[in-house]
Amino acid sequence: MPTSILGPYFRTIVTVSVIAAALVFSFTYARNGVYVEIQPLFEWMETTWFGYVGKTWGAAFATIQAGHLIGLAVLGGCVLVSDGRLLGVVLTDVPHRIVVDRADAVFRWALATLLVTGVFMACGVAMKIYYLPVYWYKMLGLACGILFHYYVRRPLVAHELGAINPIVLKMTAIASILVWFLVAATGRWIGFSG
Amino acid sequence: MNEENQSLTDGQNTGLKDAQTSALVAASAIIIFSAFYWFAQIQSVRELLELAYG
Repeated sequence: MPTSILGPYFRTIVTVSVIAAALVFSFTYARNGVYVEIQPLFEWMETTWFGYVGKTWGAAFATIQAGHLIGLAVLGGCVLVSDGRLLGVVLTDVPHRIVVDRADAVFRWALATLLVTGVFMACGVAMKIYYLPVYWYKMLGLACGILFHYYVRRPLVAHELGAINPIVLKMTAIASILVWFLVAATGRWIGFSG
Repeated sequence: MNEENQSLTDGQNTGLKDAQTSALVAASAIIIFSAFYWFAQIQSVRELLELAYG
């Protein structure tokens, strides 16, 4: 049986460690140090080609933003369909495996679209978002969502779904919906700020 | 051959238990955080509305 130096519960130990590290980072002064350190990065982002285009050519920014919103809508749809199926709420006449696997294939492209268009948009308004607390909530939600999806949810649903504890499966689906809802809500909040 | 199959099944069971435990921990953390976060947001809006309209 292949085991690592941390034993057979490697994934659980890593998950607990990441949550503990995130809590320590969020509730100590370490966060303030990093916040000041990365300010030059945001100043530099505004001076890049993306930054100039985003600031001076409104049509380009609006078009990329449309792509960002479509990516978010598709990602949200994948999450609702996949997790809704795990909760037994939608597409109950289609086998779990088909819904989960096909939604995951689309999810990957939607996430890639979100990240690429998001970087462009961030360059156009880098210093604005740097000073917005809600932007950092969104980044926290996004990092949590990506880690949760690829390190926790995907390996779990890769197993035979009938063998998984139904409470754990439903909690995972609810957590997935909550974390992506947070990302979407904070994203729109950025749009309505300043 | 039987021992190999048994070992494979044990490995899969351990993998499933590990995946389930990590999912339980991560999902609990996200659900608890979300409950606190949205409670705080709703409370903040209620206080603002009270300030505005009494």
